[in-house]
Amino acid sequence: MAEISGSVVKVDHGPKVRGEARFVADYPMEGILYGKTLRSDRARAKIQAINVPELPMGYVVADARDVPGKNGVLIIGDDTPVFAAETVEFVGDPIAMVAGPDEAEVERILREIEVEYEDLEPVLDMRKSEKVFYEYGYEKGEVDKAFAEADKVYEEILQTGHQEHGYLETQGITVVPLAGGKVKVHGSIQCPYYVRKALVLALGIEPGDIQVIQDVTGGGFGGKEDYPSMIGARVAVTALKAGKPVRVVYDRREDMATTSKRHPTYSVYKAAVKDGKVTAMDIDLLYNAGAYTTISMVVLQRGTICSNGVYNIPHMRAHGRSVKTNSVPNGAFRGFGAPQVFFAVEMFMAHIAKDLGVDPVAFKEAHFVKKGDKTSTNGIFHHGVPLPQMNEKLLTASDYWAKREAYASQPKGRYQRGIGMSYSFHGGGFTGTGERDIIKAVAALQKYPDGKVEILTSGTEMGQGLFTTFAKIVAKELDCPIDQIIVKLPDTDRVPDSGPTVASRSIMVVGELLRRAAAKIKAEWKDGEAQRVEERFQQPEWQIPFNYDTFQGDAYPTFSWGAHCVEIEVDTYTGEQKVIGAWACYDVGTPIDTTVVIGQMEGGFLQGIGYAHMEQMNYDKKGRIRSNSYSDYTMPTAADVPKMEMHLCVEEYPEGPFGAKGAGELPLVGVPGAYVNALEQAIDKDFCHIPVTMEDTLTHWREGGQA
Amino acid sequence: MVNGYAPQTLREALEIKRKEQVSPYGGGTDLMVDHHRTGTYLFLHRIAEMQEIKQDDNYLRLGAGCTFTEVQEHALTPPILKEAISRIAAPAIRNLGTIGGNIGNGSAKADSVLVFFALDAKLRLMDADGERIVPIHAFYKGRKALDLALDELIVEILLPRVIPTRYVYHKIGARAALAISRLSFAGLWNVEGGKITACSTAFGAIDQVVVRIPEVDKILIGTPVAELDSVKERYLAAAGEAINPIDGRISAHYRKTVCLNLLDDFVETMKKA
Repeated sequence: MAEISGSVVKVDHGPKVRGEARFVADYPMEGILYGKTLRSDRARAKIQAINVPELPMGYVVADARDVPGKNGVLIIGDDTPVFAAETVEFVGDPIAMVAGPDEAEVERILREIEVEYEDLEPVLDMRKSEKVFYEYGYEKGEVDKAFAEADKVYEEILQTGHQEHGYLETQGITVVPLAGGKVKVHGSIQCPYYVRKALVLALGIEPGDIQVIQDVTGGGFGGKEDYPSMIGARVAVTALKAGKPVRVVYDRREDMATTSKRHPTYSVYKAAVKDGKVTAMDIDLLYNAGAYTTISMVVLQRGTICSNGVYNIPHMRAHGRSVKTNSVPNGAFRGFGAPQVFFAVEMFMAHIAKDLGVDPVAFKEAHFVKKGDKTSTNGIFHHGVPLPQMNEKLLTASDYWAKREAYASQPKGRYQRGIGMSYSFHGGGFTGTGERDIIKAVAALQKYPDGKVEILTSGTEMGQGLFTTFAKIVAKELDCPIDQIIVKLPDTDRVPDSGPTVASRSIMVVGELLRRAAAKIKAEWKDGEAQRVEERFQQPEWQIPFNYDTFQGDAYPTFSWGAHCVEIEVDTYTGEQKVIGAWACYDVGTPIDTTVVIGQMEGGFLQGIGYAHMEQMNYDKKGRIRSNSYSDYTMPTAADVPKMEMHLCVEEYPEGPFGAKGAGELPLVGVPGAYVNALEQAIDKDFCHIPVTMEDTLTHWREGGQA
Repeated sequence: MVNGYAPQTLREALEIKRKEQVSPYGGGTDLMVDHHRTGTYLFLHRIAEMQEIKQDDNYLRLGAGCTFTEVQEHALTPPILKEAISRIAAPAIRNLGTIGGNIGNGSAKADSVLVFFALDAKLRLMDADGERIVPIHAFYKGRKALDLALDELIVEILLPRVIPTRYVYHKIGARAALAISRLSFAGLWNVEGGKITACSTAFGAIDQVVVRIPEVDKILIGTPVAELDSVKERYLAAAGEAINPIDGRISAHYRKTVCLNLLDDFVETMKKA
C-alpha cells in the first residue's frame, strides 16, 4: 500500500466530536425569520387563487409574483418553478413561503392560507406518461444480425424502486439580504456554485452580488446536489421581500416527502446467445423523472451508457427515456442512474446463466471486459481491469463455490440459505467531455508568509472525508506535515469554481489539480512570501472525445471496479431475510486514506443492501408519499449491519493524484445484484425487481416454491 | 413551552387527573415525537409507587411507571416478557419508555402488550375515589379505544403467579432494531404427564387490537404430546377460521399466512420439546 494511504485523524474530527461544528440550524435566530413552505396537496391541478389571511406585522408571504428574476430554478433546465404559478405538478410542489419571527405563528398562517385548485388528472405511472423529457440511444456492431444468428434469445423486464438519501441533517438554508441588493447564502450545500448560478436567474442579479458559503453539512449522497438551488431560490425571494434574513430548515417528514430521490426504473433487456455466450443486447430503459427535469438528463445518460454492466457485448443497442410523472422530482443519488442498470444487467446475466445450466459467476466472468476492449459507446477501456483478481479474492474469502454447491442441494426447511455475487464499475467524473466543456475546474493554493498553505476549491465536506484527503494530497506533495495545510468551508467569494462535489470526481479531478498546484508551489517556494498558484483542468490527450449526439467515444476516462458477495438466510415461514455474510473488493486506485475509503465502501455497501430489500417508498393513488419517516421508510440500523469484509485492489490511474480514482459512488452501485442472486438461490425463484420485500419472498414460497 | 404537573405521589396525581384534563406522560417516547405539544401533561416519573415490581399471593405486580429496561432486568420478570422487551426499539428508548405507556398508547403493535394478552394479564386502574381491576382483553375496545375514564390512571399490570413455563416468541419488524412490529406472536404452553396442560397464543399488529383465540388454543389442551399430529390439522383449520387480519402496510394475506405458519411451527416446537 502506498505511503499516502496510511490513515490520519480527519481534519474536521475535532470540531465535530466536540460539538463545535456549526450546522445551519445552529446559528442563533436573533434577527432571522423562520421560513416555512406552503405546498400543494394535489398531484396535478390548476391554481385558481391563493387566499392569504391578514398578516400580523413582521410576517411576509412570498409567491411566484414576488420572484424578481425568472420564475425558474436553473439546474440543467429551468422548468422547476421557484414557486408554482399556474399549475402544481406534484404533492408537495411549493406554492409560497411564509416567514416571520415566531415559528408557531408562521405555522398558523401557513395552515390558514387557502389555495383554490381545479384538479387535473395526474400521471403517476411512468409507463403511461406521454411527456418524454430526454431520450438517448446508441448502437454498436450489428445487433439485428447477431439476434438473427442467435441460438437462443432472452427477454426480461427489470424494475427498481425509489430510494431516499436519508442524510442525517435535513435540508436547510439561510439567506441574508445585504446592502446594495446583494445576498449572502449559507447552508447545507453540496455545490455552492450551483446555488449561485440558480440565484442569478431567479433574482436577476449578477454572480458577483451573490455569496454562497457552505455550512458544516451532515451528509448529502447527492441529495444536496440540486435541491439546495431550489430552497436557496425560494428563501432568497422571501428574504428579499421581507428585507430580513430568512432561514428554512426542513423537518424530517417534509424532507422525505418532498425532496429528490433515486429514479425508479422499468427496463426491458433482450439478449442473443450464441455458443454459450451473449453476443448482443438490445436494451430499453425508462426512468421516472418526476414532475420536473432537474438533473434527469445526466442521470439518464449515465444509466444508458452503463446498461451493459461490466460485460463485453460486441453488438449492442441501448435506448433510454426519462419521462414526466406527477410525483416528486427525482434527482442525484450516489450512483447516479447506474445502480438501476447494474441491478438489471446483473440479474439478466444470472438468469441467462441459470437457463444455460451454468453458474452465474463463471458465466459472468467469461464476459468480463478487459483492458483495450471497446466500451458500450466505442470508447476504450484504457487502463487495467482487475475484475478477475478481485473475483478470485472474493471467491476465496467467501468460500463461494463450496457454499453455492451446498445451498443448491440444501434440504427444504424453515430456513433456507443462498449466496450470490455481482460486479460493477463506476466511471469517475462528469460524463463525456463534461469536465472539459461544462465544469472547467479551477483549483488554487494560497501560500502565506508563515509557510501555511490554504486549499482553495469549491469542494465540500459532507462527512465523506474530502477535506482530509485534499489536505493529505497537498501535504504529501509539499512534503510537509498535514497541520500546515488549511482547508475551510468553501465560500464563493474566496474560492475558484473547481466544480460540484459529485460524480466521484473530487479526488480524481480536483485532487490532481491540487497535487499539480502543490508541485508548482514547491518548485517556486520562497520563504516568508505569500504565493498563489492556480491549476486548470485539462482533458487527457488519449481520451476519445465523446459525441453527445451519437453517444460515441470515451464516456469516462477511467473506471473504478467493484465485486460483491452476499450470503443470506431466509425464514420461509415469514419471508424475513437476514444477511449472514458480506464481502466486497473494490478498486479505487490508490486509496488516499484507507480508513476514509473503507468507511465509504462499508457505508455504500450497506446502502446497497437497504436498496435491495428494505427501503420501500410508494405513492398512494393520489400521489402522496406515505413513507415519510424513518419508522415507515426503513433503512438499515446498526443492528442490521452484517459483518462486512472489505478488500481493496489497487489499479493506479496515471492521471489521478498518486494513482487515485473515483470512490464515493462505487460501493453502492452493484450490491443489489449480489443480494438478490443470493435470495434467488435460497428460495429457488427468479426475481426481477427491487426492493424484494419479505412479503414478495413469502408470497413466492407459499405459491409453489415449497417442495 | 410545555405545560404540566410532576406529582410525587399517586394520590396527588389522581387528584390532578380528577380536576383537569391532562395527558399521562410516562417516558414520553411516543409523546415527544408528536408535533403538537399543546396539551397539558401529567409527568409520572417521580411517582415511586408506580415503579415497583413485587409479587403477592396471586400476582406478579408490575408498576405501570416501570421502564422497559427495569422490567427486562428484574429477576421476577417472565422470560417471554424479557425477550419481547429486548426487541422493542433500541436501548435508549427502552431506558425511558414505560410499560404503562405502551398499554396507554392503545396500539395493537405494542410489543409488551402482546405478552400481557398472552398471559391474560389484568390491569389495576385507579381514580381519586378508588380502583378497579380489568382483564387486558376487556380493556382494549378498539384501536386507540380503551376502557379508561378521563380521571383514571393505569397503575399496575397484574400477571398471574403461575404461568406456562414454555414459550415461543416471534417479532417481525422491517429491520433488526427500531422497528414497529409488522406481526408478532406469543405462544405459551405447559406439559405435564406427557400431555399439553396449558396453551395460550396471541398475535400482535394484525388487527385493531391484539388477537387472542382461547377457544382455538383449547383444542390442544389435554392432547398427549405424542398425539399432537392427530389434532394439528384441526387446530390450524380452526385458527384459520378465527384469525382474519386487516390490510395495512402489509397485506392481510401476508399476515394470515404468517400467523398460520407460526402456529404450525408452534405445534412442531411442542412436539420436539
